[in-house]
Amino acid sequence: MATFDHDAALARAGANVSGFWGRAAFLARRYPLGAAGLLLVVLFVVTAVFAPWIANRDPFTTNARASLAGPGGGYWLGADFMGRDMFSRIVYGARISLAVAAGATVLGFAIGIAIGLAGGYLGGWLDLATQRVMDIMQALPLLVMALVMAASLGPSLQNTIIAIAIALVPNVARVVRSSTLSLREQPFVEAARAAGLSELRIAVRHVLPNTMAPLIVLATAQLGSAILTEASLSFLGLGVPEPHPSWGRMLSESAAEYVRTAPWLVIFPGIAISLTVFGTNLLGDAVRDIFDPRERT
Amino acid sequence: MGAYLTRRVLLMALTLFGMSVLIFVMLRLVPGDIADILVDSAGIVDAAEKAKIVRELGLDKPIHEQYFGWISGLARGDLGFAYVSERPALEEIAPRIPVSANLALLALIYSVVLGVPLGVISAVRQNTALDYGLRVVSLSGLSLPSFWLALLILMASVQWFGTIPIYKVEPRSIWDEFLLLSVPALAVGFRSSALIMRLTRSSMLEVMRQDYIRTARSKGATATSVNYNHALRNALLPVVTIIGIEAAFLIGGLIVTETVFNIPGVARFLVEAILWRDYPIVQNIVMLIAFITVLVNFVVDMAYMVLDPRIKYAD
Amino acid sequence: MRHSAGLAATVAFALSTAALPALAQKQGGVLKVTHRDNPPSASIHEEATISTVFAFMPAFNNLVIFDPKEKRNSPDKIVGDLAKSWSYDATETKLTFKLHEGVKWHDGKPFTSADVKCTWDALAGRAPADSDLIRKNPRKVWYINLKEVTTSGPHEVTFVLGRPQPSFLGMLASGYTPVYACHVSGRDMRSKPIGTGPFKVVEFKRNESIKLVRNPDYFKKGKPHLDGLDFKIVSNRSTRVLGFVAGEFDLTFDSDITFPLLKDVKSQKPDAVCEARPTNVHSNLIVNRDSPPFDNPKLREALVLALDRKTFSDILSQGNEIPGATLLPPPAGVWGMPRTEMEKLPGYGPDLEKNRAEARKIMVGLGYGPSKPLKIKIATRNIAIYRDPAVILIDQLKAIHIEAELEPIDTTVWHTKVQQKAYQVGLNLTGAGVDDPDVVFYENFHSTSDRNYTAYKNPEVDKLIDAQSSERNVEKRKALVRELETILVRDAARPPINHNVANTCWQPFVKGLVLQHNSIYNGWRFEDVWIDR
Repeated sequence: MATFDHDAALARAGANVSGFWGRAAFLARRYPLGAAGLLLVVLFVVTAVFAPWIANRDPFTTNARASLAGPGGGYWLGADFMGRDMFSRIVYGARISLAVAAGATVLGFAIGIAIGLAGGYLGGWLDLATQRVMDIMQALPLLVMALVMAASLGPSLQNTIIAIAIALVPNVARVVRSSTLSLREQPFVEAARAAGLSELRIAVRHVLPNTMAPLIVLATAQLGSAILTEASLSFLGLGVPEPHPSWGRMLSESAAEYVRTAPWLVIFPGIAISLTVFGTNLLGDAVRDIFDPRERT
Repeated sequence: MGAYLTRRVLLMALTLFGMSVLIFVMLRLVPGDIADILVDSAGIVDAAEKAKIVRELGLDKPIHEQYFGWISGLARGDLGFAYVSERPALEEIAPRIPVSANLALLALIYSVVLGVPLGVISAVRQNTALDYGLRVVSLSGLSLPSFWLALLILMASVQWFGTIPIYKVEPRSIWDEFLLLSVPALAVGFRSSALIMRLTRSSMLEVMRQDYIRTARSKGATATSVNYNHALRNALLPVVTIIGIEAAFLIGGLIVTETVFNIPGVARFLVEAILWRDYPIVQNIVMLIAFITVLVNFVVDMAYMVLDPRIKYAD
Repeated sequence: MRHSAGLAATVAFALSTAALPALAQKQGGVLKVTHRDNPPSASIHEEATISTVFAFMPAFNNLVIFDPKEKRNSPDKIVGDLAKSWSYDATETKLTFKLHEGVKWHDGKPFTSADVKCTWDALAGRAPADSDLIRKNPRKVWYINLKEVTTSGPHEVTFVLGRPQPSFLGMLASGYTPVYACHVSGRDMRSKPIGTGPFKVVEFKRNESIKLVRNPDYFKKGKPHLDGLDFKIVSNRSTRVLGFVAGEFDLTFDSDITFPLLKDVKSQKPDAVCEARPTNVHSNLIVNRDSPPFDNPKLREALVLALDRKTFSDILSQGNEIPGATLLPPPAGVWGMPRTEMEKLPGYGPDLEKNRAEARKIMVGLGYGPSKPLKIKIATRNIAIYRDPAVILIDQLKAIHIEAELEPIDTTVWHTKVQQKAYQVGLNLTGAGVDDPDVVFYENFHSTSDRNYTAYKNPEVDKLIDAQSSERNVEKRKALVRELETILVRDAARPPINHNVANTCWQPFVKGLVLQHNSIYNGWRFEDVWIDR
């Protein structure tokens, strides 16, 4: 079961496409903002993955002589209070943001999909119960939920991922559940059941793939908010702890002290967060346009 | 209709009850409790003194008993005593609510005043340079961390005006308060305005494709009249609802902004109370936030039902 | 032209007031002060933080106090506060105070010797069962030698000691040692305390502000000069500093301006008066000597030899921290070792490379090396003032084949973890309420103290602590104190790194404020402070 036929969609959009690059070029022309977003996201991922090769210094080494050194010279983006290189810390910080964004999204989606699929497909008391739990979890804004979770679990990288993931679950579960509800009655599901396939197999192999389009849209949209939530948590001191160079934490510490003497400590990590989230948002918009042409913005 | 309403209200109560259990249990999973903190702030770990505090605060009682104590108090309007200040939690929380509410209201006004017209312009000028420019601005509003924006505003303010808009003394008049809150509200409202602008735009586009707009156009109505009289009015329905939802979700932005601008509101108080493990404060503020969120969702659904008769609520 | 005439007049006036400072005190004005955080409570006796002392010391009086006009708290510079005079008996175990008459608590009730007795009965753990004046008692160890407090009429009180203890009077003279009112409950003392002091607490709004107003009935005639004190709690340091620079506040929180920030304050506000002084806090290592591998004294020695105190100081305070052993060294400190003597201690010598070479030799001898580093975790409290030096420590330990990882511990459970010995090596900060050997040694190293949370036990040290405590000859006592400090360093009891130094700033029109250089916990009575405007 193909979930989404790109070629058909492109053809509908009037594209005369052939081959991967041709399609890519068409999409870039059709969605210039999305292409820019993709570029930013790729840059972000590449930075995170190849951090040790990109960073020109060790992000943990302190140096008294470089304390609060300005940008330029040996320290491209300056150095923090302890003389640690800001450029390298920002490069390594991409790893934290990526780990949190990807980790929280994957985990949150895994849980959300399981709950949504089970509730929507099986229905009955299970559906009722999971829905009520989702109601409860949605009764708090994302940041507040993540805040309470992060505080309960204690500050660490894994716990930050878990806290944000849990806060993402209800949205995912609802999207999956509503698609599943409409798919459950479709003829191909009936057919599969008639063919004697097990319910689990039908749910996972036949229903789930058909819920993918809205999920992909949601996932791209959530990446940015996961990154922002991590930054806010770390800024408030409840997120990723030292020595991890988290962008949000870098802002909270430099912000607490050196906004005036060393503005670069505030400016660069903020730019890193903003550009990354901006990229994921641009990409998210384009992905939604591609998958759901009716809701074009 | 009556049955639907009853069901909704029951569900709301159920959600709030679930939230109360969830927050109560979560808080007690937090490493360290108030007794640890009170003892620790004195720099000592004296088991006997700690045990005394634990007893005094009733933390040694079974958890269900503690929960019941809280909920039955809540029903009577008694929120318990704050651990840190030893004053009634209500006295601690209540004076902070109007501060946050005013800030949220101002932020909401900003976001509507900015978001709706820009969204309309963007939709009407779809795919022009102006549209692209506005979309980039609105997306950037969703991408800047609001605490960062707040810090930048503070830096700029000292640089250019030699002063900062922080809450030093209690404002004496509404005007004073407005002046104090207007800058932080901008930092919070920017993000919401971006969201509202995007929604206004997409819902405008949706409506503009509808048949009756085409009809109006074919009847010779001017473009301006069509855009603003017909399309906008209909496009506002989803926008109104999102504004409602935003009002609850502004709270996330308030937390960090109140911290940076030192505003004595309820959102910042929540973070501080979490760090202090001051359960009575955290529990009650979380319940307040949950109540607002649930209520807003309810009102939004009701508004939908009244405004859009196509939606049926049989079940 | 009129301007220059006015200027000349101002200059002439300034010169004349400089010549006659005593005449210049003006009455009136409210001092606006920044505060860094919400004090855990207003009850000074129950807390061990400057947050409480800074804002609530103005509401109280002591029996005696380190002379507030002197920059250095020392045992020979103690003056009366609520006590008019005091004297020891021949055995030096009975200390009798004659109290001022006509002193009133802020609620109008008279102050008497009964208040003194009940305050110290509570502090010594002898309060009647129904008293809730003090719920927790972090300085209980100060009064282990206090046997009894007796009164003789409403204006005379005697402290009976178990043995002579020259430091006892100094402990009574600290900002941590106010006299409490017996008729007030502990809960009130924690939220809106009643004192006899120059200012009355009108409001303590959690996380917001603390307001005090002039006590018109203050027993010291003509004081205080200010109409009131407004402490504004601003938890974000950059906001606090920006507010001060913008002229919104008259005085910063104690020691709030670090050296990198000082540069900023000075460039933005060149007329701000800033003074640097030690903060009574020193950074140190705590080593879990009960479990491998640090049960090996050789390994502890290597750790001590690896410390580069200068780099800690350079990074954390632009070179302004003071290297020292446990006690604050002179000139600010009264009891610490002079530099020449200190440099003879292991790890303190000027030749860092030599020390580290020695440390590496020990490490190699124990089977570690560049290809086989010792992997450890450095535990510390998850707040910046602990974490920053810990990060530097990790960096320095690389030089002696130790690969350390930071383990930030939630600040609420830090002491519990340490007490449970759930760490290998920790980076710790230790503060001293008074610059005094009894205070520092009993609290931190005596085997019977609650606050000896590393549970360091050394009978030789216990004996020396007791010996110096009862030694009445100052020079002999200093010799014993040095011997103790040397043993503690050699034994790596809590290897000291540096004594912290930070700045406090105020606007030029704030007068009469004297910062005391070996105690941040004194000097906040505000009764001599006035505004020249």
